[in-house]
Amino acid sequence: MRIYEGPIRRLCAAYASGADGEDLFQDVFLAVWRALPAFRGDSSERTWLYRIAHNVALTWQTRDRRRRSRETALDDDVRAAGDMNLRNLALNQAIAAMSPGNRTLTLLWLEGLSGAEIEDVTGIKAATVAVRLSRIRKQLSPVEVTV
Amino acid sequence: MNNEDALRAMWTSSQPATSEVLLATIDAVLDEDRAAREKDRLVRLAALTAMALLCPALLWFAAHGKTPLVRGGYALMALGASLMLFAEWMHRTWSRQALPGPADARSQLQKTALSLSRQASLFRTAALWCAPIFVGAALIGAWIYQERSHAGAYLLWASIGAGWLISAVTGRSKGKKLDTRQSKIEQLLSDLR
Repeated sequence: MRIYEGPIRRLCAAYASGADGEDLFQDVFLAVWRALPAFRGDSSERTWLYRIAHNVALTWQTRDRRRRSRETALDDDVRAAGDMNLRNLALNQAIAAMSPGNRTLTLLWLEGLSGAEIEDVTGIKAATVAVRLSRIRKQLSPVEVTV
Repeated sequence: MNNEDALRAMWTSSQPATSEVLLATIDAVLDEDRAAREKDRLVRLAALTAMALLCPALLWFAAHGKTPLVRGGYALMALGASLMLFAEWMHRTWSRQALPGPADARSQLQKTALSLSRQASLFRTAALWCAPIFVGAALIGAWIYQERSHAGAYLLWASIGAGWLISAVTGRSKGKKLDTRQSKIEQLLSDLR
């Protein structure tokens, strides 16, 4: 879990920020904790963990709970970050503006998963993943060119 | 390094992990899990104790009641209590099934949507499967009206009516909330196609 803390924290921050992000991180950890006895090594540890994390994040945002909108949270991020890397912020904003499906694909792609691994995590065919990622990369090109 | 690799490198270098936060989170999660398991155990124990006391008592009254009206009333209440326990068991099973697990996202969302739809139907029909308890109690009220006091019977009927109405309204409202969640999940599913 310690190895995957970074990727999961980044995932949680992409879906929620501040205290909400912490709540989501705890929900992910709890789901992993509960699912751990059922892990038999049929899939890789990494894709298994990403499956749980993304499933929790996706269902988390459908729950009926009072929370600040992601847009408001981003404004807070800007204030809190101070001299935070503006390109990083632009990337975060671009991800936050995406549809949940595209956001999931983007986060997995940014974490370095292959098309087959993304298919394993999301259930979307690798060919479809490739087409959608190509469109997403076009959306992200303004951020890319500044890198 | 091309732009895509640079973008990935920028992303993975952001929000560095801190082990203090991880350890605090692990503690919080384990505490939460322990508390949830304990609460679950207590609720199950309380429900089983209540049923162990209530059902035999209701069945005894159903067998030895003074009149057919009273016996019928208690029999219906015993049936209603059993139905409520069964509904609670189904609700808990579907809630567990709806919890996110290690399936791929589409299969998980489909499973969650199905569980939510079943739970919503269960809540929407709460007034129906609670009916035996309320009808049984109303029959006892009819006996009180005939044999004891009119005021007592009116009071009991009014309470039964209020209880039935509350269960129907609460059930519909909870069903509506679950429907909203299900439609959000359906939207997510269509977005993942």
